[in-house]
Amino acid sequence: MSRFSILGCRLRISDERRHIPTWSVVLLILLLSVTSVHAMSGREVYEKLHEVAKKTLDHKMDVSMTLFDKGGGTRNRSLVAYAKRGDGEAYKVLVLFNTPPDLKDVGFLVHARTFADRDLWAYFPEFKKIRRIPTSSQDDSFFGTDFSYDDFGGPANLDDYSFKILKEEVLDGKPCFVVEVTPKIHRKFTRYVSWVAKDLWIHLKIEYYQEKELYREGEFTEVRMVDDIPTAFKGLMANRKTGHKTEFTLEDVQYHTSFPDDLFTQRSLERAGK
Amino acid sequence: MRLKRVLALCVGLLLFTHAGLLHGGDVFSISGRLSLHGVYAIHDESVEEDPSLTARMEMDWRKSEWLLHSWIEGGWDGTVRSPRGDRAILKSFDEVYQDNTPYLELKELYVERSLAGIDLRIGIQRFSWGRLDEYPVNDLFNPWDYTQFIVRPIEERKIGAPSISASMSKTDWTYQLVWVPWLVPYRLAKPNERWSAVSEGAALSNISGAEVIAQEPDLPAGKLENGSAGLRIQRMGEIEWAVNVFHGYDPRPVFKTTALGVTELDGHLLIDPGFVPSFHRITSLGLDGAMVKGDWSLRGEAAYTFNRAFDIRQELWGYPDTLVSGITPLNPVEIERDTLDYGIAADYRLMEDWMLTLQAQQTVIIDRPSTLFEREIETILWANLSVHWMNQKIESNLNLACNPEHGASMVRPSVYYVFTDSWKAGITGLLLDGPPQSIFGRYAKNDQVEMVVIYSW
Repeated sequence: MSRFSILGCRLRISDERRHIPTWSVVLLILLLSVTSVHAMSGREVYEKLHEVAKKTLDHKMDVSMTLFDKGGGTRNRSLVAYAKRGDGEAYKVLVLFNTPPDLKDVGFLVHARTFADRDLWAYFPEFKKIRRIPTSSQDDSFFGTDFSYDDFGGPANLDDYSFKILKEEVLDGKPCFVVEVTPKIHRKFTRYVSWVAKDLWIHLKIEYYQEKELYREGEFTEVRMVDDIPTAFKGLMANRKTGHKTEFTLEDVQYHTSFPDDLFTQRSLERAGK
Repeated sequence: MRLKRVLALCVGLLLFTHAGLLHGGDVFSISGRLSLHGVYAIHDESVEEDPSLTARMEMDWRKSEWLLHSWIEGGWDGTVRSPRGDRAILKSFDEVYQDNTPYLELKELYVERSLAGIDLRIGIQRFSWGRLDEYPVNDLFNPWDYTQFIVRPIEERKIGAPSISASMSKTDWTYQLVWVPWLVPYRLAKPNERWSAVSEGAALSNISGAEVIAQEPDLPAGKLENGSAGLRIQRMGEIEWAVNVFHGYDPRPVFKTTALGVTELDGHLLIDPGFVPSFHRITSLGLDGAMVKGDWSLRGEAAYTFNRAFDIRQELWGYPDTLVSGITPLNPVEIERDTLDYGIAADYRLMEDWMLTLQAQQTVIIDRPSTLFEREIETILWANLSVHWMNQKIESNLNLACNPEHGASMVRPSVYYVFTDSWKAGITGLLLDGPPQSIFGRYAKNDQVEMVVIYSW
């Protein structure tokens, strides 16, 4: 008995069928390949997305953000984010603000044992104190931006969500799966709809809903390959309720960084990574 | 003398680090803040305050394993009523009553060398031990500047202490050792200034034509045995906890009495109020912890302190009913007792941009004598609600505190409008109530409205 594994589907060909012409097997494989992509479940789409996300878990990113209020006023933030992948699903993230002056050296630390189990801390130099942050705060605004703590906190636990492919659509010239993601755990949103680029397996667009009401939406553009990892260099997250928007620009990114564990400690958080 | 030693230390630090900082790639960062404060005193009988214009600048210069850090503050302090005439502008580390304005203060100035997970720091430092926001019970190295009590955040009113510290982190464990070689005294407002806390002194300064001359204490000699030291061991984890031991001078103000002196000079009364700040050594054993439970971030700390000094009730100090010229001896006023302090705090996000912090703490005075104003158990309940509106354009804060044993309370609402990332302006109210010797009641005449403009860079 021979086994072939194609895109997660196992094809078993018994010894008795070995007389089948080679061309028909090739055709069958091709057909199965095509149908298997179409037949991908929402969960499988997100497993693919996770594979890419895991590759990004050793990184240093310099990010600048511009916050636009409804009246046209703007404010700026700049930060640097470090991440390190551990064993299994474990990872660590350290985010440090450089500007504005009010937020200079304010930091945010994540220690994830698994995608479902993580500890969060924030450091405020003004109080010279580190504070534990409940994971229930993960959907709250990330220091006044329209992004949430979760947006900077690493991959989600897929078992905490259910997935449903709604349709396929071309967005900015890129074919996408449009997936509805519904949390099984308590989140601020009741569901979100995401546009996941086929082949790239990253979000190009995401819409967060509270019941039927769209309250937050994001678009991710200027996707470039960095060390074979697709990376969006621009993003815009808008809050539909408040009219507030946050544009982020990835100024610099390095993958496969392998930072020492010392960088992801409370000591490092207090010292702004220095 | 002590100031000269600190300055010599600073110059030494700069020279010491100069060579190290000249080599390798360096990272330099600078930030600062300019603040203009104006205070409107609500009560006619309260001491007024001039506008203040202060600036602070923080600099970090890092080169490989070396770091030079400084936080310098200075400007015009409107709380000072009679600026000293000697043109000294640098705040010293050996005086309780400091009335220099314009002034310059070294809040922090230290050099650090990091090697193999060990950070060695030498210079003027601030420490933050414990978990409570206000009145932390294990945070004992940095005395407070009580000319800024209540109106400035705790970290801003801390006085930097010339010290040596070593921190070592190993996996989830952090060990910190601190040594402050000599006593740095707390700072108090003079009896004729707005934030003077001793009601007898303030009462004397209200006598028409009288000048109350606050007496500086004789500080303990700068000997090895007069230093303060502490060790803190902290563990990071799902439940974080730390234990610490401190042995040194208690940063809480107490007084000892001498004798009331009244001298009449050209129809003008010169009054020596007869009390001077006093300093006592304590030993304190503390522990603290933090954890997350559901939507709550919980914190707590406790400390058992040996030989903490208290003053007896001021009506027992022996002041005469009517002031007469000459010397009037006063009664001894200090009593030492062990105390147990403990408190818990919780942070809870009510909704996005609404953060509530609740804190309750108590001090138990072991074997309390009836002559103390403080009760056997003293409680402080403290709450803070911070709300940001209009996409963080408006920052509002409501701070409440009460000491139920004495019916003392504080209410401090504030609203800031953020114009840009650099500019913001706000208004803060302050209402204080309680009997004259209570923690808030001693400032009960100081209800005020404060307007602030801040430029940050």
